Amino acid sequence: MEVRYSSLLEKPIVVSGRLEHREDSSLVRRVEWPYQEVTVLQGENVSVERAGSKPRRFTLDRAPELRGMLASFGAILQGDRLLLDRYFDVTAQGSDSRWEITLTPRNDKLKRHLFRVVVVGTEDRPRCFTLEEPDGDGSLMALGVTGPEALPASLDRDVLHAWCTDGDGQ
Amino acid sequence: MTRARRGLLLVAWIATVAILGWIVDRRLVIGTDLRLFMPSPQTPQERLILEEIGEGPASRMLLLAISGPDPQAAADTSRALATALRASGEFRLVANGESNLDAIPDSLLAYRYLLSPTLDDAALDAGFLRVQLEDRVRDLASPAAGFLEPWLPRDPTLELLKLADSWLPARQPQLVYDVWFDSSGREALLAAETRAAGFDPQGQRKTADVLQRAFEASRTDGNLRLESSGPGAFSVLMQERTQGEAQWLGSVSVVGMVILLLVAYRSVPVLVLGLLPLVSAGVAGLAAVGMIFGTVHGITLGFGFTLIGVAQDYPIHLFSHQRRGLDARSSVRALWPTLATGVASTCVAYLAFLFSGVRGLAQLSVFTVTGLAVAGLTTRFLLPPLVPDSSRDAAASALLGRLWHAIAGLPRPLWLGVATTIACVAYLALSPRPLWENDLGALTPVPPALLARDAALRKELGAPDVRYLLVIEDTDAESVLAKAANLDPKLAVLVARGLLDGYDQPARYLPTRAAQEQRRAALPDPATLRSALDEALGTTPFKPEIFEPFLADVEFARQLPALGPSDLAGSPLESRVGSLLLERGDQWTALVTLAGVKDAAALAQVAAREPGTTLLDLKQASEDLVARQRERILWSLAVSAVLLVIVVFVALRDASRVRRVLAPMTLTTLVIVALFHAAGVSLSLFHLIALVLAAGLGLDYALFFERAAEDPAEQRRTLHAVIVCSLSTFLVFALLALSTLPVLRAIGITVAAGVVSNFVLALLLTRPVPGPTTDGR
Repeated sequence: MEVRYSSLLEKPIVVSGRLEHREDSSLVRRVEWPYQEVTVLQGENVSVERAGSKPRRFTLDRAPELRGMLASFGAILQGDRLLLDRYFDVTAQGSDSRWEITLTPRNDKLKRHLFRVVVVGTEDRPRCFTLEEPDGDGSLMALGVTGPEALPASLDRDVLHAWCTDGDGQ
Repeated sequence: MTRARRGLLLVAWIATVAILGWIVDRRLVIGTDLRLFMPSPQTPQERLILEEIGEGPASRMLLLAISGPDPQAAADTSRALATALRASGEFRLVANGESNLDAIPDSLLAYRYLLSPTLDDAALDAGFLRVQLEDRVRDLASPAAGFLEPWLPRDPTLELLKLADSWLPARQPQLVYDVWFDSSGREALLAAETRAAGFDPQGQRKTADVLQRAFEASRTDGNLRLESSGPGAFSVLMQERTQGEAQWLGSVSVVGMVILLLVAYRSVPVLVLGLLPLVSAGVAGLAAVGMIFGTVHGITLGFGFTLIGVAQDYPIHLFSHQRRGLDARSSVRALWPTLATGVASTCVAYLAFLFSGVRGLAQLSVFTVTGLAVAGLTTRFLLPPLVPDSSRDAAASALLGRLWHAIAGLPRPLWLGVATTIACVAYLALSPRPLWENDLGALTPVPPALLARDAALRKELGAPDVRYLLVIEDTDAESVLAKAANLDPKLAVLVARGLLDGYDQPARYLPTRAAQEQRRAALPDPATLRSALDEALGTTPFKPEIFEPFLADVEFARQLPALGPSDLAGSPLESRVGSLLLERGDQWTALVTLAGVKDAAALAQVAAREPGTTLLDLKQASEDLVARQRERILWSLAVSAVLLVIVVFVALRDASRVRRVLAPMTLTTLVIVALFHAAGVSLSLFHLIALVLAAGLGLDYALFFERAAEDPAEQRRTLHAVIVCSLSTFLVFALLALSTLPVLRAIGITVAAGVVSNFVLALLLTRPVPGPTTDGR
């Protein structure tokens, strides 16, 4: 599940889908609900394709926040502390069974596009990645959750954060 | 003449030459545009061809590749280099794949609704907006949200993005780190259009320097390498190679010449004096060209000095006839009729080039004629008083005596001359192969490896073809743009059929005023648009109030006057449109550049159906021009050949003498042309110039041999002079014949072979008929 917040929107957008690592080291983000969309991230190149329209291609230089997200995501999933330290100042809190890591970008260019990443997890599994952008926009990705009915009724950020921390719905 | 007066004369001569040389050096502008050696255009079509050959966007295009072990460094350097080149002022356009929407000035942003074709098929109504807004919601939930979000309030239909996309080349290289890379992903690619014309080696040289400096300043990694390719880069390369080789060969031949003259005359003063007429000739020739034309072409200079090298022979004749007790002034009086005939007839031959219709050749003609006349006159009037007494008499040489005796015993195979003439003429007339080379490029060929590299880069970049170009002409910008827009779908069909890789035309960036006005008229008024937007927003999660900037922009666009070519100043469109849409007096021209032409006939068919549209095949057209030009030169040469015979006839006044004098050069020319043809060498303009030079030399040799009086000593002195002349000339041109460059080799081989043939034939056919006095010995 991914929830996207934007100052242009009255209420956040919710999409659901899957993330896959392909053998050629590309990452595929597949949106399955409420519409079909496939994003392929390979090296520096990103292509977003929705059914019925021409793919939109761009590179990570155009989407620095995406680069930050990918770095944090990859590093945490692989437990690569060195990679994490290269991009972020890391603070951790909580216990081994229920933890929260806050990542603050180190370099100025990234800082302009990404305020921080908060990762909430239980034991050895990350549950939610929250991206906060400097202008108040952002997104929340909940791993292992499918279907919008699993989310709390309110999509308010604090409610969702508490939901992630409490482990409801697991 | 006293010693003091002789000294004074020498000083005055040298001072005059030096002062004139100084003035010439300060005033004379040396041009390098190769088109000066192409024919002057006679028809508007020819004018267009000549302009496009050197100035079309394709001929100005430099293809750049930055390669190195780290692609990221190459990409960073590509960006920095593009910025530096754009700021340098030497380039009209630098593209490396970066699409920077921020580069479009605010004043032009609202024009997106007039420039973009989207609204030709759709109206800004509720239905269209709803589809667009729903798409935008999805965009916001996608990884593209980051860079799209800031534009949405102003441009919910992403018109600007569509416009920027449509301005990208139809087939562009892949983007890596946001800049163009080749398909292997190792080289960052750029396409840069230079301000200097492609065939202006001097301008291109300056551009190449700017490029190299910009690269040194922009490189982020010492391991990076910059390559540049394209007509401009090649013209710089070939000019440097030609100059380098000509200089090297020139220095060697000067050394050889000095040694030869020292061996022949064993006197340093003679050596120095021998140079004075030549130097005077060069300076006078340059001054004359400067006065008449204002500029002199680099090639004129190079060739001119080669041609007036003949002038070196004039003092040699004088020196070889020196002996103890003989005043050079009386000696020169005896030689002068022969020398004057030689000078006058050679000048007549070079006059032909004055009427060739080619500016570069006219310059060459003025330079050579002036130079030779000055060399002849200074040898006659200024040199003799300065010639030191010689203790040596060439006639006293035992070796020469034996040589002359052997020569006297040679047969005089007149029948062979006649037979050779008939054989050569018949062979040339009957051979089916073309005699002439029409491809100017064949003389300064670019190494095949570089051409292959150029083709590969051109394919990767989708850069325009340097050979084919569509040209649309009309009396105003609007009409040519309309024709270009009309042509567009037809070309798109060719692309779809795989007959063409791509094309570019100005209406893609600047639609006609009519199209813009039509789009403007289709924009809804504020109230209508607001209600359509409200209706479309109903079902989306967007906040309604955020789209005020969009409403304002559309309303602003409704008040805008349509854009014309002159309104683009300062925008990124200026340079793009500027190179494809040209104003020439009261004539407007739109150029449609073509990439990857696979079927020229299909293109020609498309062009034939469009009024005012022509497919230019620059290669074919320039070859036709060269052929027409050559025809004119040949006619002028024929006229001057007749004049030459008249001059010789007036001087000798005896048909049999005239025959003997003209036979060697005529035969030599025929034999060389036939031999070249048999060896598969196509003749070019440069061969032609060299043939005229060789003929001039042959005429001189024959004149002197023919003149050789019945006094055996005088004959030996003449033999000495002609041997020194022909050896020195042979030396210079045989060295040129060793050059790796076809243009230098062509001249070298032609003249060296001409010298040998003329010398031998002059001995066989021209040497004096033994009279009754010689018979008796």
